[in-house]
Amino acid sequence: MITSGLIQALLWGVATGCIYILLATGLNIIFGVMKLVNFAHGQLLMIGAYIAFTVTTAVGLNPYLSILVAMAAVAVIGVGVERLTFRNVLGTDKLNEIFVSLGLIYVFENAAVLLWGNTVRQIPSPLPISIGQIMEVNDRLLAIVIVIIILVSLFLLLKKTKIGLAMRATSQKSNASMLMGVNIEKVYIFTFALGAALAGAAGALYGIIFPFNPSIGALPTIKAFAIIIIGGLGSIPGAVVGGLLYGIAEETAVYLLGATWRDATAFALLIIVLVIRPTGLFGEKGE
Amino acid sequence: MQKSLIVIIVVAIVVVAGVVAAWQLTQVPSAEARKIKIGLVAGYDLAEGQDMDRAAKLAVQEINDAGGVYVSEWHTSVEVELVPINTVNDSPQNSVGPVTQAVEETQVDLLIGGYTSSGTLANQKVAIDNRVPYIITGASSSLVTRRGPQAEYGGLAEGSEYRVDDAEGMSYMFHYCTTTADYSATVVRFFAEEMKPLLDTTYEFDTSRNLRLAILYRDDAFGKGVAADSKAIIEDENLPIDVVIERSYPADTISFLTDLTAIKDAQPDAVYVVDFIANTGQIIRQGQADVELNTVYIAVECCEDPAFYTLLAEYGHEQLLESKFAPYAGPPYYLSSLDTYVTNYQAAYSTLPGMMGADTYDAFYIAADAIERAGTVDKAAVRDAIESCALDQMLIMTETGKIEFSTGTDYHEIAPVTFVEQLIYNIDAGECRSVIVYPESAAGVSIKQDDFVLPTAYTPGS
Amino acid sequence: MKQLLLDSFNFVKKEVVAFSHSEKFYFVIAAMAIVAILPLLVNSYTVTDILTPMIIFAIYASSWNLLASSGQGSLGHAAFLGLGGFVSALLAVKLGVPPILGLFIGSLLSAAIGLLIGLTCVRLKAWFLAMVTFGFSVIIVTIFSEFDDFTGAVMGFPAPLIVERGLPFYYLSFAFAVISISIMYLVMKSKIGLAFKAIHQNELEAKMVGINTGKYRLIAFIISTFFAGLAGALYAQSIRYIHVSIFDPTYSFLPLMMCVIGGLSTIEGPLIGSAIIVAIDSYLYRIDGVLQALMGSLFPAVSSVGPPVRTLGLGLFLLVVVIFAPKGLSPLIKKAYHYLRRSLKEEKS
Repeated sequence: MITSGLIQALLWGVATGCIYILLATGLNIIFGVMKLVNFAHGQLLMIGAYIAFTVTTAVGLNPYLSILVAMAAVAVIGVGVERLTFRNVLGTDKLNEIFVSLGLIYVFENAAVLLWGNTVRQIPSPLPISIGQIMEVNDRLLAIVIVIIILVSLFLLLKKTKIGLAMRATSQKSNASMLMGVNIEKVYIFTFALGAALAGAAGALYGIIFPFNPSIGALPTIKAFAIIIIGGLGSIPGAVVGGLLYGIAEETAVYLLGATWRDATAFALLIIVLVIRPTGLFGEKGE
Repeated sequence: MQKSLIVIIVVAIVVVAGVVAAWQLTQVPSAEARKIKIGLVAGYDLAEGQDMDRAAKLAVQEINDAGGVYVSEWHTSVEVELVPINTVNDSPQNSVGPVTQAVEETQVDLLIGGYTSSGTLANQKVAIDNRVPYIITGASSSLVTRRGPQAEYGGLAEGSEYRVDDAEGMSYMFHYCTTTADYSATVVRFFAEEMKPLLDTTYEFDTSRNLRLAILYRDDAFGKGVAADSKAIIEDENLPIDVVIERSYPADTISFLTDLTAIKDAQPDAVYVVDFIANTGQIIRQGQADVELNTVYIAVECCEDPAFYTLLAEYGHEQLLESKFAPYAGPPYYLSSLDTYVTNYQAAYSTLPGMMGADTYDAFYIAADAIERAGTVDKAAVRDAIESCALDQMLIMTETGKIEFSTGTDYHEIAPVTFVEQLIYNIDAGECRSVIVYPESAAGVSIKQDDFVLPTAYTPGS
Repeated sequence: MKQLLLDSFNFVKKEVVAFSHSEKFYFVIAAMAIVAILPLLVNSYTVTDILTPMIIFAIYASSWNLLASSGQGSLGHAAFLGLGGFVSALLAVKLGVPPILGLFIGSLLSAAIGLLIGLTCVRLKAWFLAMVTFGFSVIIVTIFSEFDDFTGAVMGFPAPLIVERGLPFYYLSFAFAVISISIMYLVMKSKIGLAFKAIHQNELEAKMVGINTGKYRLIAFIISTFFAGLAGALYAQSIRYIHVSIFDPTYSFLPLMMCVIGGLSTIEGPLIGSAIIVAIDSYLYRIDGVLQALMGSLFPAVSSVGPPVRTLGLGLFLLVVVIFAPKGLSPLIKKAYHYLRRSLKEEKS
């Protein structure tokens, strides 16, 4: 039975999905190019939300401009973190990446608690505003538009620029691209910065639409990974479809079954996919 | 080579043993100055816990300033020492350890506090086993005093893990708080007696139309208890209320958009929100701002705290709060003891007091009075004295006007009075103040301050 | 079958004899002596709330360690800790099963579920496995909460003890620890353990030399989750309470921390890690006052800077260990000991 509430829930799902798309795409890029698994990626989202919040409330900047500030700040933080930690364990035991991620989660989450406290926040938004008599622009609508803009820009960057080419080459075969004169270090730094920036954008958007606190980073990371697995490694359209599907499935499950099933549904989906195809629905061989 | 190794190992063992023994010896407390040690079981990470701490300190200060407690066994008046027992967030795993330490190491004479039901049910086991009087000022589950044989295990099924077979130990438990049944009764009766007639007249409904109630609660003992009790009372008293929808969510949820959307679908006349301050405030905000569920929300008494009013800001306007202590409904207050307390609390802490603190404040006076009447800190005697308490009501109103722990039963509860307040936004304060709208009077005292009005943007259910 | 038993018996005999001649033997005897005497010297609170958990978490961390040694780093081990705890407690409370029997049944059930989860993970790489195991711990919370009428998980309930609390329970846990860890040690030393290491190092190569990687990964899961369940049953009894919070991610990350800090893939690593982390947890909160005085004004957003600062410190510590001492503290301690010995020898001669 299609009720107005169900449609509403679906729309909340689309909003959640948009944020998942950004997060998953960032993760996709990092994982694809660097073969790096960072479970603390969601923490960058959380930091992005807080930075956007601080900039908006302290300086009075329009929250939608704060997104850009958040992206830049998180990109810098992301690269700094990567240089200090992951750089040193890349190439060693695969489990070490998991350990580093865990340490980073503790550090980020508690740093956020110290700096901003545990209380729930939300970034105040000037919306909704009405355009004439025709329609009302609210945060969710704008979020969808922003995500489209970001994805299109990303697509152009990957396809049309030199660095994009270098990234794509590295993701295929990093040894070969090194031989061809690609500066791997530079590519890695740029890739991580890009992925982090996307997480920062996701965080800023999240903070406008939903309330947040320092603990929101943990679960979205795993859901973002799940989306990559389902949508296919390296595929942006896959991440879009996967992200939307995930967001909608989650909110629909909550609407129909109750909020206690939110996360369980997300993981059940992931587990089912992984059991059927350990490399993901469209995954490449060996990963 | 082996020999020197063995020598090293033996030496190491001896050294370790010696160090540990020496350290142990220094842990023995010196001959103590006689004081009455009362442990306060509170979650200091929570606004409610901090309120309890402030109220406790105020009470202890007042008691000591007035000369302390006269213990006839020692032929002298002694001071009360507050022993903070920080349960962080008052969850079971965080509260059992600290309470154990307070009882076994610090050897408190008495315990006051407890906030969440699940935490208290867990940590009270320590007090039960060790026969320490525990005045429980929180925990809305009546099981805290009824889980033993003397109350037929509170109706718990045989083999239920919550049962306690230790009647003697259970006799040390005192519940100075309302139970989920107490305040659910007030809430549903308010809806039946006050709100439904108003709806019927305002919207010209047929009197046979039942009030449509939605219950939104956190998924734990507290939330489930309130939901269950509310439904039971509606049925038992044949109230004209239909529970059109109930939804629960994990306790750590911070966003309730989909739940509120589902509730909006069910078209309720009112929403009963069962959660603590942070989440209730969020629900009432999101409901109005994001989901446009323009109904009337009623919050549970544990939200009676300055943090709640600040969090709600203008979104609390014309919403409801069930309570038993109303620091925002005055001055002048419905009870003169409030005037004094609020003034003193504000002077000391620059903020208004909350409800949990009020319970705690009273409890310290109950304890002091009991020890004085017992003439000793012997726990069994103190327990007997608390049982025979006959103090006049203090900050919490009771049905008889006196603080009595269940005369005629073997388990110890009080009969508190609860009421419903409506919040009114005050521009100068930047947040809401409240007025009592139900019931008319309690314990012979008239307490109603104003009539209940429907919120301006209110839309009824179908 | 008989041959298998005979082989196992000879193997165990050989290992025990070899061990008794090794240097480590004296250490172990000394350590066991200390662990046996210690509770008699300290107060009862220390025994029940510090020493007993150290022992129980040593079992838990060792179980995680065994699984990790096969390259399977689980991020959801709390699911098994909780399963062991709940099954044993529910059996005792609802069916009157004697707690000691409940403990074994709980461990077996935990192992059975572990087998199932191991099956879903058997083809997964390390990071996918981590996500799936974490996912299971989340799902199990939902299941236990939804069926609360049966499990009593949401409110929690007291778990009945095998023996009296305090010293008797301490020595019981100690006995279980000795047996459990010895078994795990023997497994690690055996061909099974070698297979684990091979799979961990390079699964593809292990397959190529003919190791049935699937079978050994499952064996690792079964053994690991059995002992995790056993630790869970003991833990529930030690805090006299079982509650849905035992499935929290915190309990999943604890054994990981203990093993990384203590030393992965060594037998003493989890023990060292358990002792350190439980000790830190129990005593470190006392510096909260100092921390507040030092940093309180820097962070006005929090009422008590202590807990987040300590957890942040723990995260930093973990990072430092992983980056600079990836083999944990155990090899460092060994080095220190050997250095001491050498300098003593030089003194003598």
